Amino acid sequence: MIFAILMPFIIAMCIPFIARFKSKIHTGYAVFATALSIFIYFLTLLVSGETDIFYHYSWIPSLGLDLTFYTDGLALFFALLISGIGALVAFYSVHYLSKNERLGHFYVYLLLFMGAMLGIVTSDNIYALYSFWELTSVSSFLLISFWFTKKASTDGALKSLLITVLGGFSLLGALVLLQIVTGSTSIRTILSEGSLILSSDWFPLIIVLLLLAACTKSAQFPFHIWLPDAMEAPTPVSAYLHSATMVKAGLFLLLRFTPVFRESESFFIAVSVIGLLTLFWGSYMAVRQTDLKGILAYSTISQLGMIMSMIGYGTEAALFAAMFHILNHATFKGSLFMAVGIIDHETGTRNIRKLGGLWKLMPVTGIISVLASFSMAGVPLPILNGFLSKEEFFTSSWELAHTRTFSTGFADVLMHVVPYAAVAGSIFTFVYSMYFFFGTFTGKRDKDIAEKAHDPNFGMLISPILLVCGVVIISIFPNWFSHHLLHPAANAVYGEALKEHHIHFWHGFTPALVMSLIVVILGTAFYLTRKYWAGLYQVLPGKLSGNAVYRALLTVSEKQTKTVNDRLVNGSLRQYNMVIISVISVVTLAILFGTNAFDLTNIDVSPVTLPGSLPELAVALIMITAAIGTTVSEKKLTAIIILGVVGYGLSILFVLFRAPDLALTQLSIETITVVLFLLCFRHLPEMERDIKEKLSKKVTNIIIAAVCGLMMTLVGLAAYSQRLFPSISDYFVKYSYKLGGGDNIVNVILVDFRGLDTLFEITVLAIAALGIYSLIKLRHKGEDR
Amino acid sequence: MEIIMIVLAGILFGFAVYNILQKRLLRIVIGTALLSHAAHLFILTMGKLKRGAAPVLREGAENYSDPLPQALILTSIVISFGVTSLLLVLAYRAVKTNGTDNMEELRGNNHD
Amino acid sequence: MTNLAILPILIPFLSGVLVAFTHNRLGLTRTLAMLLAIVHLITMGFLSFHVLTEGSIVLEAGDWIAPYGIVLVLDPLSALLVLTTSIILVAAVWYAPSSVSEEQESFYFYAFVFLLITGVSGAFITGDLFNLFVFFEVLLMASYALITHGGKKVQLRESIKYVLINLFSSMLFVTTVSYVYAVLGTVNMAQLAERAAASDSPGIITTVAILLFFVFATKGAAFPLYYWLPRSYIVPNPVISALFGALLTKVGVYSLIRTFTLIFHQQPEIIDNLFIWVGNLTMLFGVLGALASRNIKLIVAYNIIPAIGFMLVGIGMFNIDGLSGSIYYLLQDMIIKAALFLLAGTIASLAGTADINKMGGMIRSHPMLGWMFFIGGLVLAGVPPFSGFIGKLLLVRGAFEKGETVTVIIMLITSLLILLSIVRAFIRVFWGEGNTGAEPAGKHGSQIFSAGFLMLFTVFLGIGAEAILPSVQQIADYLLEPQTYIELVLKGDH
Repeated sequence: MIFAILMPFIIAMCIPFIARFKSKIHTGYAVFATALSIFIYFLTLLVSGETDIFYHYSWIPSLGLDLTFYTDGLALFFALLISGIGALVAFYSVHYLSKNERLGHFYVYLLLFMGAMLGIVTSDNIYALYSFWELTSVSSFLLISFWFTKKASTDGALKSLLITVLGGFSLLGALVLLQIVTGSTSIRTILSEGSLILSSDWFPLIIVLLLLAACTKSAQFPFHIWLPDAMEAPTPVSAYLHSATMVKAGLFLLLRFTPVFRESESFFIAVSVIGLLTLFWGSYMAVRQTDLKGILAYSTISQLGMIMSMIGYGTEAALFAAMFHILNHATFKGSLFMAVGIIDHETGTRNIRKLGGLWKLMPVTGIISVLASFSMAGVPLPILNGFLSKEEFFTSSWELAHTRTFSTGFADVLMHVVPYAAVAGSIFTFVYSMYFFFGTFTGKRDKDIAEKAHDPNFGMLISPILLVCGVVIISIFPNWFSHHLLHPAANAVYGEALKEHHIHFWHGFTPALVMSLIVVILGTAFYLTRKYWAGLYQVLPGKLSGNAVYRALLTVSEKQTKTVNDRLVNGSLRQYNMVIISVISVVTLAILFGTNAFDLTNIDVSPVTLPGSLPELAVALIMITAAIGTTVSEKKLTAIIILGVVGYGLSILFVLFRAPDLALTQLSIETITVVLFLLCFRHLPEMERDIKEKLSKKVTNIIIAAVCGLMMTLVGLAAYSQRLFPSISDYFVKYSYKLGGGDNIVNVILVDFRGLDTLFEITVLAIAALGIYSLIKLRHKGEDR
Repeated sequence: MEIIMIVLAGILFGFAVYNILQKRLLRIVIGTALLSHAAHLFILTMGKLKRGAAPVLREGAENYSDPLPQALILTSIVISFGVTSLLLVLAYRAVKTNGTDNMEELRGNNHD
Repeated sequence: MTNLAILPILIPFLSGVLVAFTHNRLGLTRTLAMLLAIVHLITMGFLSFHVLTEGSIVLEAGDWIAPYGIVLVLDPLSALLVLTTSIILVAAVWYAPSSVSEEQESFYFYAFVFLLITGVSGAFITGDLFNLFVFFEVLLMASYALITHGGKKVQLRESIKYVLINLFSSMLFVTTVSYVYAVLGTVNMAQLAERAAASDSPGIITTVAILLFFVFATKGAAFPLYYWLPRSYIVPNPVISALFGALLTKVGVYSLIRTFTLIFHQQPEIIDNLFIWVGNLTMLFGVLGALASRNIKLIVAYNIIPAIGFMLVGIGMFNIDGLSGSIYYLLQDMIIKAALFLLAGTIASLAGTADINKMGGMIRSHPMLGWMFFIGGLVLAGVPPFSGFIGKLLLVRGAFEKGETVTVIIMLITSLLILLSIVRAFIRVFWGEGNTGAEPAGKHGSQIFSAGFLMLFTVFLGIGAEAILPSVQQIADYLLEPQTYIELVLKGDH
């Protein structure tokens, strides 16, 4: 089992070597073989009925991140889908991608994706699931931008990455909350703690985050906007990731947690409403597209919305129908994408306006398309699986009101509205299916296209033919699939065993059949009259669109951020200092008074006596005067010399306050500094008032300076007066001679007790000397004199 | 006395900040010099003032000034000296190379 | 054994002196520098292993017992940090010869680098607040010398701002140390912690702590004190940018972690919220700058800031997950930031411009460079299985545990915007039309390898997280219990 899941990654690592021989053998065959063998492995599991296989490997236990895989019905269902469609797509791509392409890259991404997808559906550990989830986003990004020189590709890739990773991050949030609530990172344990989750305070947030993850990944309204742009990817990628598998990861996520959430009313309301809205919006927008892949993209959105709404219903019938439709959608949508790939390949265009009348030219492709698109439309024929699941959808919508009871009024109303919404949403599904098929295969034929278009070689047809065979076979033997595949899956989703469910083509005149017929009749009418109501698109969406919002946000992220940032980080030293100093001063003052720390009751000061203290006071006065002097002086020489006075004043204070060493050092250093000042600024311009300061700026400066000075003073006073503990200095006085061998305590501290400080203080000086030397000697050529 | 000295240091600090907020490079450098004076005065004061003899052991002295702040200041003075010297030379070079000593003209932009 | 604790500063210090003396024989200097950097890495690897398995090492410098002398404390946190520093040193010395001009190299370039490392390592291991100031000055002085090194016009312009801002915060630092000394009567961190815990007037302790917070936050480039950082970090040579980006801000963050878990956590309602809100705003405003930039080096430089925000909020959570998240983030961010700065330097050098709008299609000639840059973006955004994810997961969990939902949302949005900023740069530089930097890699080969060397570690820190993570969680546990550190240093015998 572990091997089946890791195999894509292992093969991916070998691909660069395999790709070297791409001129002899197409790299795609290796991928085909990989996917096929994985498919066969899971098929044997299915046939043997051997579910609940379990594999455990401790990866980062201290984070709760293990590689634990297990297969229940749901996992097996998806694993088969992923590997089965994967094999067909790989085979198809062999004929689609020429050997001149960067096949190595393509298949590495594809395998990474396949492995990640298998990981998502089989992981038991939430963080492992999350890791695989992000890997699908990244590999999808790389696949969409496979043709990386096209701007449309890279733009589409970026969009899908941003939206799906947004969902990924909210998924992370939801999973972390689930871990916090249940104390476990194992999905099986989490599922068994349902009541704990439902009653938790975090529950609403969990729902919101999980839905955000599911809706972004599964392209639900209004996050669907990435999917149409993702169509820039090579068509096999669209068929695989963007219709059959990755976009269903969001559905999978909800299905995984349905056993817990299906009882919740808010879950019902949110998921059903989103689903029905998406069902309608996707199908409505699909009719407007001109690019065949665009139609299919919106169609996928719409179909995903339909499945989503069934998950929201949460009833046995609905969940079963959801599983059924996931399977059917994979078959008909996969074959349609491949058909479009063929048409594109043969005619060189996917524009439905240029296409038409291909039926005669490409009969096989035409047959594939008609079966698949009619199945998608839900045309009542016994060979179309789409009709069967659509019936199930209608049935479950209709019966919802009879199976569930809700306490809140809104849910109750919604429950009765659901069937009508389901029909309304499905009408356009019918319209776009017809539009797709008839627009391409009937009508006028373009001359240029007529000359070159014909069915492709057989190899390229095999995969879509097999898928369409699937469409037919499923509709003929629905109960075989129901019994072996759908039931185990639906059981896992529902959380308990479902009643045995039989699928019939003919139920008699049931409400579902009536709903189907309404859809067909109204759909045909809308299709035939579409010219007349096309003006509706001018009103809705008109200029409103999710894309416009996305583009606006992207522009904001580039332009407006620059405007704001340039204002903050504007290169002005004064502004930097102003912000730093005022923030520090204001916040510190606030804290000082906020914590009642400004308490001078225990202040212990040496007395100021007259005339004994006169020298100190005089020096202080001189220093203040000098500080004012140096600040206002307009001659640089004067300013520097008056600055010296402050320094010399300080050294006199050192003498007066019994710090002889300091005084000496200060005196000598002050002298050298003044000389250095003079040396450096001698050649520089004078400081006349040539730079006029605005008064407002001056006032601002004064205020900031005053507040900062005040803050330092007040905090200094507060700190000085609250001496909570005795100083450690007594030790130095006591042991300076005994242990340090010196009379001068300061010196002993410097060279002995705190010798390390001194060593590195000298280092600082040495670095400064070397730095100055380099500054003077090492000059950038060409810029300096 | 300590209160006076703390206020003095605070005033010096304020003047330092005022100078730092100017445009002229020389003013700013003067501001930093004032800043270090203010800082050192703060440190000295925090160890209490005039509580005894200079911290050099001798017979008969009962109390000494707190030696630790003095040691810290000494370290700090030397470091400040190193920084100031480098700053001065850097200022000189910056002004010569860029042709102005007005920091507002040295904003630059995000493209170089 | 205790003497081993001096090695993290002794080796780079002596190396710096040694290479300073050989500065006029370039070949010898280079070989010597590389050799010494590797010796340092191996020694730090051994030391870290020793500390993690056998326990912390405390060295009382000059045998003066704590709290009177200066202690060097090589505890698990410090050990992991000096180890990470030594990894970055190796990459920097490896990258330098192909990027720094020969003339610059012979002007004490390597000496400054080693002395910078001395200062950084010293700051990581010292157990004394004033000594921390001294080591800050060592690393700052070395950084002043390095940022001006080469003397280009823009360099001189930006470096003078850098020096002046740092000078202010240094002076504030030393003054604050004296305030702390006045209130608590000591500068030894363990004793400060002991006394702060025993005091019953938390107000004044919190007030002086706030000043210290701002001192470290200015070095660590937190909002709104970061404005000086982005432009000054991109003007010197990429190697220097990498060292700055990886180490300098992180010393600020480390100091915050150390002092605020050990000493200044007296009023959690104030301190925690301060960290959380400053962190929140730092994330948002930092990433804003990254989005606004078109210069590849600036994009990387701005991305330093939101990462700082992540670490700050983690400290503010003050629980095991939050703190271990911060520490893990710190360790991995040092490495990835260094790698990204080196990569950005190589990109700009190959393209002949740093403007991403003037590049395109570079992946054709330089696929390795491109994919490493892309992975770098994933690491920054915290996408699994890379190292950024581990830190982010812990931080998110820590924030939820504390009930800080807003912070979680900001973290997640910030991550997305970080991803946007890097991926957008990646798309413009490496994809699209054009063929920037088509000439063969040449001398840039060794640059790509040295960045790759760092990338290996980030990948390891992601996939192999289990090797480090339990230790980090123990560190977080130990930081929450300051008594362990106090007893380790003071041994109860003072």
